[in-house]
Amino acid sequence: MELSTETPKMEVQNLTAYYGESAAIQNINLTFPERRATAIIGPSGCGKSTLIRCLNRLHETAPKARVEGSVFLDGEDLYGIDATAVRRRVGMVFQKPNPFATMSIYNNVSAPLRFNGRPSREEMDAAVLRSLQQSALWDEVKDRVDAAATSLSGGQQQRLCIARALAANPEVLLMDEPCSALDPIATAKIEELIAQLKNNYTVVIVTHNMQQAARVADYTAFLYLGKLVEFGPTEQLFERPQEKLTESYITGRFG
Amino acid sequence: MSRDPLADTGAPRGYDLQVRDLKHRAVQLGEWAFTMVHDGWRAYDTGDFTAAQTVLDRDATLDRFDEDMEHATTAFLVLRQPAAIDLRTAVALLKITTHLDRIGRLGFDMARTTSSPPVPELSDIRNLLQRMDDAVEPMVRQALDALAHDQVDTARELFARDDAVDRMHREVSQLIVATLEKQPKQARRLASDLLVARHFERIADNACKVSEKTIYALTGQRRSEYLPRHATAPYALESPWGSPTKRK
Repeated sequence: MELSTETPKMEVQNLTAYYGESAAIQNINLTFPERRATAIIGPSGCGKSTLIRCLNRLHETAPKARVEGSVFLDGEDLYGIDATAVRRRVGMVFQKPNPFATMSIYNNVSAPLRFNGRPSREEMDAAVLRSLQQSALWDEVKDRVDAAATSLSGGQQQRLCIARALAANPEVLLMDEPCSALDPIATAKIEELIAQLKNNYTVVIVTHNMQQAARVADYTAFLYLGKLVEFGPTEQLFERPQEKLTESYITGRFG
Repeated sequence: MSRDPLADTGAPRGYDLQVRDLKHRAVQLGEWAFTMVHDGWRAYDTGDFTAAQTVLDRDATLDRFDEDMEHATTAFLVLRQPAAIDLRTAVALLKITTHLDRIGRLGFDMARTTSSPPVPELSDIRNLLQRMDDAVEPMVRQALDALAHDQVDTARELFARDDAVDRMHREVSQLIVATLEKQPKQARRLASDLLVARHFERIADNACKVSEKTIYALTGQRRSEYLPRHATAPYALESPWGSPTKRK
């Protein structure tokens, strides 16, 4: 795995994100390679979630939040185009599964299509089938797609949320600690899914779990106190980190 | 002002104590292997069967050290899921254990070769073998010191000394072959001497491997990053190529 041979999908340049006057991340420069999984790790409060929320312009929806710098998707500055269009191209899955509680499985997955236009039943059927298959949920729900989304287990609900994100046909999938509320079996399924998804999508995952980063990510970025400390192939970062601070963090040498 | 949570307080963690314990076990195994080489050579050199038997009896303990070390390192990997220097140390220790075990086994093999008292007519060969022992034993000791005290420079010094042992090995091997032609009645002893010379050469190689892995654990550097592939003499005593060949 060599960064110089990769095709960049998303590029973050001199990115600083504020909450009021306080900068949560400062001057971040980072490239997310196409069809690779990149993990963002770091201690609580280091700015991981803020960074990932800047990648689909969700950060600016928080009160008094603002961003300086640029985020490019295939060379196009995301901060120069409509935010809704950005979120169609850059999907997101959150820490806690958040299916639309009053909707069926089918309606959850087809919701992004309905929000974005008036798709035919055939178009929705095709999108629901594709998304549920891509999220490895189809075999488990194919006989009950009209059942309530809340009837699914936690792990299934999270995969439903992934299916919902995929239904909009995004180019990049952001995952903010997608397994933190799941048991080890559901976690293993999501991790396996990430390995499949990166064949078609660029995946960016925020995780507290370093072993998870090591298992799923091709590249890993380590953030500390809002700054990017180190970025490189995951294997290198966990075996031979270049920065003392990275080594202190991943070996658990806290004071 | 809040304290930087990543600041190194210098206080040992349970984690550090476990790594230290693993290293301590490896060094203990190494010490045991060292005594087997030391006493194995003396038993062979003097034709002392009692001393040889003592070395042979130590083999079971060597095996136990090796197995315990493997269990402890595997448990550390599974339970702690280490990263960076801790991961490299655990991986290196698994390999180091194998090399130290081999060093002990070569001492065992020397003791097992013990057959007869030294032959006065073969004193030149005996002196060369003693020179090999004088060179090799400190190499094992130095490799263990580097491991025990995290000394990269001490570990690096070993590689040049290995070249000297290789030269001695070629010298004594050529002398043995030449003597065999002149004194065929000494064939049995000469064959044993040839084996012992080979054992010394392998012990030095394994000591270098221990150092290589120590350097990897401490710096993350692999041998190819700091030592070029060196020219290696052909194994055959009289090579059809006539001169050392490059190993690919």
